[in-house]
Amino acid sequence: MKDKLIIADGMNKSYRIGRGKLHHAVRDVSFEIYRGETLALVGESGCGKSTLAKLIMRLIEADSGEIYFDGNKISALSEKDFRPYRRRMQMVFQDPASSLNPRMKIKDIIAEPVRTWHLYESKGEVEERVKELLDMVELKESALERFPNQFSGGQKQRIAIARAIALSPELLVCDESVSALDVSVQAQILNLLKRLKKELGLSCLFISHDLSVVNFIADRVCVMRDGGICEEGNTADIYAAPKHEYTKYLLSSIPQIPQY
Amino acid sequence: MSRDILLEIKNLTVSVKKDGKDFPIVKGVDIEVPRGKIVGIVGESGCGKSMTAKSINGILPRAARITGGSIIWHDKNGEERDLSSLSEKKLRTICGSEISMVFQEPMTSLNPMMRIGKQVEEVLLIHGLAKSKAEAKEKVIKMLDEVGIAEPELRYNSFPHELSGGMRQRVIIAMAVIAEPKLLIADEPTTALDVTIEAQILKLIRKMCEIHSMSVIIITHNMGVVSKICDDAYVMYMGRIMEHSTTERLFRRPVHPYTRGLLSSIPRIGEDKEYLETIPGNIPEIDKEIRGCEFCLRCSDDIQSCFFEKPEEKEIEEGHFVRCHSVEVLRGGSKVL
Repeated sequence: MKDKLIIADGMNKSYRIGRGKLHHAVRDVSFEIYRGETLALVGESGCGKSTLAKLIMRLIEADSGEIYFDGNKISALSEKDFRPYRRRMQMVFQDPASSLNPRMKIKDIIAEPVRTWHLYESKGEVEERVKELLDMVELKESALERFPNQFSGGQKQRIAIARAIALSPELLVCDESVSALDVSVQAQILNLLKRLKKELGLSCLFISHDLSVVNFIADRVCVMRDGGICEEGNTADIYAAPKHEYTKYLLSSIPQIPQY
Repeated sequence: MSRDILLEIKNLTVSVKKDGKDFPIVKGVDIEVPRGKIVGIVGESGCGKSMTAKSINGILPRAARITGGSIIWHDKNGEERDLSSLSEKKLRTICGSEISMVFQEPMTSLNPMMRIGKQVEEVLLIHGLAKSKAEAKEKVIKMLDEVGIAEPELRYNSFPHELSGGMRQRVIIAMAVIAEPKLLIADEPTTALDVTIEAQILKLIRKMCEIHSMSVIIITHNMGVVSKICDDAYVMYMGRIMEHSTTERLFRRPVHPYTRGLLSSIPRIGEDKEYLETIPGNIPEIDKEIRGCEFCLRCSDDIQSCFFEKPEEKEIEEGHFVRCHSVEVLRGGSKVL
């Protein structure tokens, strides 16, 4: 059996929605992510998939439940003790336009995490690393001195990915990272993510509402509904023979494009 | 003409002003909308599909204007009117009652302070389609029922925030079709919705089209939506129609390298690919001047003339038009279409 990088056990999270009412966004969810695999959380809006991703990243705190990262329990750590783990898990968001600081040059955006963590002694080394990262996401060096608004959506997402992998994380969380992109560009980014995952041995938690995208990128899939996981399995199995009624309904709703 | 045409867009050009210069964003577009059919305009962001639609009912943003071509509206009694040259006042008598529009965001298209029943009713009262308020209310409730809203009498009094996204889009569709328009323009009607809701809304649009013998123009970036409900499909890239035909023919035999590229870059279920085929590069900025074919910079089939000469539209089989230089070459050459 492969190594488990992430184990989430019995996660719960509810939000107050006024007048003492609670909305259970995530209810009793358990899953694990193996090293080097892409696990997809798929479901419709409001099913709790993004909340779950934020819980794993500890961007928000769970009401109950435990998270293990590489065998260590991280859910109960103090902010200070948790900090070393932050470096090992990074996130790529949906909207590349709003996740990049418009007043920073690309070289500074990508170098920021590297500088924050004092990974290199000299400026020259940082620069080298930034160039290497740009190359990894297939951008030209001429991008270094430019600002985010000079790039298209797909290019911005490449920059966001370069920033996310700058610290050589072990887990990459992609929250609807290709949903805002045009199809022709989406395909490029999906290929890039798949290639990086392979080359860097990344584990990936991939959140999406798009079942066709998930089919392409994920090794395993968790189908979520109303805060819970209703079906979990290998991608090929779920798509070939969905067991849960809801999965069947989801799959039957996708408009099919005839093959030519 | 064998087909019964409701709306004909001829050689339409729309330009925007940028730094005192006119840049065309819709370039000589021809589209025919037959009566009772659903026509899809598909393309990526910035290709001019929304601008084409907005020219029809005169709601282009201030920076953009029609700089050429005509939009011919065919009345049932054979009269023709050019919508692009009508005054705003005259255009308004057609828009709303004969042409209506559904937008992408069901959240922002409704007035948050007004009960949904009243909002739908407004259409009837403004266009004088109901004699009394009681009659109007009755019609609205019937319409809400028709678009699949459960307990329409109760929902008549709901506010938009009390409804889900899918329900709101149903209300907007009710509002759009209650005046029995001849043409419904739907601009990305399902983009903000979940797949299961999308499937329901598309079914509803199809049903409305059939019941009210209405024509529909669907603007979308989603090839799946086109293949699911459109009769005819137009593929647009950088302001130009690159390929158009019946949906069935287009999907059976896509010819333009852009159409083929789009179709092969969509991940499909039931396919196990290591990597997706992609269209290299990005969509150029609108102010980039391209002498030849708009797609030549990203095209894999480019031949020399692509860079210097705009391709003309060619009919490669009955009713299937392609704007590409390599069509002739492909025909004579070894490449099988």
